[in-house]
Amino acid sequence: METFGVVVIGAGPGGYPAAIRAAQLGASVALVEKEELGGACLNWGCIPTKTLIASSSLYAQMKSAPAMGLRVEGASFDYAALAARKDKVVRSLRDGLKQLMAANKIKVFKGTASFESRNRLVVEAQSSGSSSVEIGAERTIIATGANSSIPDFLPRHERVIESRSFLGLQSLPASILILGGGVIGCEFACLLAQLDVRVTVVELLDDILWTLDADVRRVVRQHMEKNLGIRILTGTTLENIAADSARVRAAAGQEKLEAEVLLAALGRKPSLEGLKLANAGLCASAKGFIEVDEYGRTEVATVYAVGDVTGGVQLAHAATSQGLVAAENACTRRLRKNEAVVPNCIFTSPEVATVGLSEEEAQKKGSEIKTGKYMFGALGKALANGHPVGFVKWLADASTDQLLGAQAVGAHATELIAEAATALRAELTAAELAHTIHCHPTLSEAWMEAAHALRDEPIHSAPRKKK
Amino acid sequence: MVQPIVMPKLGQSEEEAKIVQWRKKVGERVNKGDILFEIETDKALLEVESFLAGTLLKVVVPEGEVAPVQSTVAFIGEPGEAIPEIQRPERRPQKAEALVTAGEVPQPVRPSAIAGPARTQWEVPREFQPPSAEHLPPPAQAQAPPVFKISPRAAKLAKEAAVDPSPIVGTGPSGRILEKDVAGYLKAKGYARLRITPAAKALAASNKLDLLTLEPCGDSGRITVSDVRRAIAELPQPLPRMRQVIAERLTRSFRSAPHFFVTVSVDMTDLVEFRSELKAQGKSYTVTDFILKAVALTLPEFPLVNSTTDGVNVSRHSKVHLGLAVSLDEGLVVPVIRDAEELSPEEIHLRATELTEKARAGRLTPAEMAGSTFTISNMGMLDVENFTAIINPGESAILAVSSILKQPAIKDDQLAVRWLMKMTLTSDHRLIDGAMAARFANAVKQRLEEKNLWKRLA
Repeated sequence: METFGVVVIGAGPGGYPAAIRAAQLGASVALVEKEELGGACLNWGCIPTKTLIASSSLYAQMKSAPAMGLRVEGASFDYAALAARKDKVVRSLRDGLKQLMAANKIKVFKGTASFESRNRLVVEAQSSGSSSVEIGAERTIIATGANSSIPDFLPRHERVIESRSFLGLQSLPASILILGGGVIGCEFACLLAQLDVRVTVVELLDDILWTLDADVRRVVRQHMEKNLGIRILTGTTLENIAADSARVRAAAGQEKLEAEVLLAALGRKPSLEGLKLANAGLCASAKGFIEVDEYGRTEVATVYAVGDVTGGVQLAHAATSQGLVAAENACTRRLRKNEAVVPNCIFTSPEVATVGLSEEEAQKKGSEIKTGKYMFGALGKALANGHPVGFVKWLADASTDQLLGAQAVGAHATELIAEAATALRAELTAAELAHTIHCHPTLSEAWMEAAHALRDEPIHSAPRKKK
Repeated sequence: MVQPIVMPKLGQSEEEAKIVQWRKKVGERVNKGDILFEIETDKALLEVESFLAGTLLKVVVPEGEVAPVQSTVAFIGEPGEAIPEIQRPERRPQKAEALVTAGEVPQPVRPSAIAGPARTQWEVPREFQPPSAEHLPPPAQAQAPPVFKISPRAAKLAKEAAVDPSPIVGTGPSGRILEKDVAGYLKAKGYARLRITPAAKALAASNKLDLLTLEPCGDSGRITVSDVRRAIAELPQPLPRMRQVIAERLTRSFRSAPHFFVTVSVDMTDLVEFRSELKAQGKSYTVTDFILKAVALTLPEFPLVNSTTDGVNVSRHSKVHLGLAVSLDEGLVVPVIRDAEELSPEEIHLRATELTEKARAGRLTPAEMAGSTFTISNMGMLDVENFTAIINPGESAILAVSSILKQPAIKDDQLAVRWLMKMTLTSDHRLIDGAMAARFANAVKQRLEEKNLWKRLA
C-alpha cells in the first residue's frame, strides 16, 4: 500500500490548490478525483458560464452599438459555436491543471475515495476495467464540494434541468422558466435574455438576490426587467408543474406559465456520497456538511475539510483560500486561520460585487456605521464607456472610520471589488482610502469619491442634506 | 408643594445605594405606595415606595448612580411648581479608592498606577486641573502641585502615537515632559518598528489604549483590529458592587480568622427514607431543613461555636440565628433564620423556603441578612464529594454540607450500600480547639443519623 503525507479528495478549486501547496511544503501528495480536474467550478460552473456570458454580453453590446455611434448590421449568433468555444476554454484550462499536477509531482487517482479508517482510503475506479486501490494517508483534506440538484417536488423529465445539464445543451430553447432568483438563477436569466431567450424567473422570497442590500437589488432588478425584458415573479411559489414532450407548464399563483425548459436553480447540496465518513470517525452535520473550525480542522485530528462541503461561503475563491490554509496547517506547525474577508461576485447584467458587511447586516448587528455612495452616472469613465448604471458604496465604523464593507453594482463591478477587499483586509480607514490617489479617468475612482462622501467631504457629488 | 424624595436609610451598615431603575418618569403621576425606584445596596435589590403623592418633577440622581442615604434623589410636587436648585450629592469615594491614608495628598488616580503592568488605558492629563468639587484637595494642602506635567505639544504627540506618556521621564523644568522626550521615548521603545493597521490604530487611540502594550496574534505579525478589541475586552473592569462586597468580606474573614477544618461523614440513609415517608404524607422537607434543625439543637450545647471573637474579646450569643447561604447568578447572599433554636422543623422549613425565594427574587431586606451567629452552606444539589467554606465575618464557624451520595459503607460489620453525606466544619481556631470542633461536628452527625429524633420532631 502506497502511503502519502497528504491525500486530497476532490480536485476542484478547493482541492487542487491544497494539493499544490502541500507539495510545495514537501509532502508527498495524492489527489483523488472521480470526474474531472478543476471540479464543478472549471467544468460545470464558473468558467463555462462566464465564457458564455462573455459572448452574450458582447452580443448585447453589438445590439446597442448605435448608441455608441457604431453600425453593426445583421448581428446574430450560433449557439453551437458558443458552446464549442466554452468547451475549448474549459479543456485548455483542464489541460493546464494536468500539467500543473505533474510539475508538482502530485499523484492523481481517478475514482471515488472512501475511508477505510482515518489513515487508510480506498479509491474505487469508475471504469470497469481497472481495480480499486488502497492508499495510506497521514493527513486527509476533504474537498468534495457540492452538487446542484433537482428537488423532489419537480417532475423528472428531460425538460426539467439544473445548471450542469443546461451547460450540456447544444441549442437554446426559445423560452425558459427559471425557478430560483438567487445568484445562479439570475446569472442564467441575464445570459439567456441577452441571447434573445424569453425568460421568466420565479422566486419564493420577496425579491431576487435576497442577500444583497435593497439599493443594490433595485439596480439589478430594474435593469433585468426594463432592459433585458426578463419577467420576474417574486414572493410566489411554482405549483402544478407538469412537463410533456413540447413544454413545461406551471402555475405561479393565479397565473399560468409555460416555457420550453424549466431550469431549477435552488441551491447546491454537499457531496459526501461514497466517502464513508464514519470509518474515519467523522459524521456530517444535520444539514449534511462536514463541520470544521477556523483552521479547517474536522473533529478527527488528521482530517481537514475545505470549500462547499463545509457549508461555509459557497464560493470557489473561498474554497481555494481554505485549501491553501488547510494544506499549510496539515504540513507545518504554525497554524493559520481561514481568511475572514471573502469578496463575492455576481455576473448578472449589470454585475454585482460585495465584500464585508452589508448595510442590512450592520443594522441587524446594531453596529454604528456610516455609508458613502458614488453613482457611476456621475463618473467620467463610466459615461465614456456608455455604462452609467450603478454605484459603489462603502460602509465604515462610525467611531473609528474603519472600512467594514463595500458593494459595487454596474459594469466591471466584479473587477472593482478587489480594491475593496484589499482595503478591508488591511483594515484601512475611509480617510486613507479617500487620500489614496486613483487614476483618472477610471472606474476605480468611484471608490475614492465614495470614501470622500462617507466622510461628508464629497468632491464630485453634492453634499449630504443636513437633517 | 414641592417636596424632596430622599434615599432611604437601609440598615446599620449602608451608607449609600445605587439607583438601578426609575420606575416613574419625570412628569408621571405618583400615588402613595407606588414603587418609585429600585436600588441596589451591598446586599440586595430593593424597591422604594413613595410616601408622597404628586407628579415626579425632577430626577436628581439618574439610573446607575450612587447616592448617600438621606440625600435628595428627586422632587415631587405639582406640575409647574418651581424646583429648588440642588447640588448633586457628593459621593464618598469608593472603598477601593479610599485606601489613601489620612494626610496623604489625594492625587487624581491614574489607572496605570493601580492596575499593574498589564495593558492599560491612559489619559493625557491637563496640566492644570480646573478646580472642581470632586478634585478639590483638603484646605490645608490647597497649594499641592500638579502631579503630572507634560507640555501641550508633547501631549499631542503622545496622543497621536497612541501611547501612554506616564512612564516618560521629562527633561523640562521640574520634570515636565517635552515633545522631544516623547519622541525619544518612542524611538527607544522601537515604535517605528510597530506594524499596525490604520483601523486598529484608530480604535486603540479612541479607547486610549497604549499601542506599546499590544501584541499581534495573527499570522501577519501586524496588530489588527481584533488584537485591539481583545485588549479592550481584557481591560480591568470594576466588579459589580455585590462582588466587591463579597470580596472584601471574604478576604477580611480569611485574613483575620485562622481557619481550620474538620470533616465528618454522615449516614443519611434513614433520614432520606424518613423524608420520603413524610413526603408520602404530603409533608415536604428539604435535607437543608433537617440540617438547620440539627445545628439549631446542637449549638446551645457548644456556646463557643455560637460566638464571635476579635482575638481579644469573645461575645457569646444567647440566641441561635442561622445564616443560610443562597447562591444567585451574581453572587451569594446569606438570609438569616432568627431564633432558630425555638423553631420546629416545620417552622424552619417555612422560614427557609420563604427566605430562599425572596433571595432568588432579589427582594431580601438588609435586616433579613443581618445578625447571623452561625452559617450553613449546602452544595448538596451540586454533586460535590466534599468542600470547605470561609467563615462569615462576625461568626466563629460555618458548616459546609456536600452531596448525599450512594457509597459502600460498613453497617453492622457488613458491607452495605448507604447514602453518605460529608460535612466540613470550618472554625475560627482562635476560639475553637480541634477537639471541640470534632465534638460539635459529631453531635450534628449523630442527630442527623437518629431517625427516632425526627419521628418525634416532624
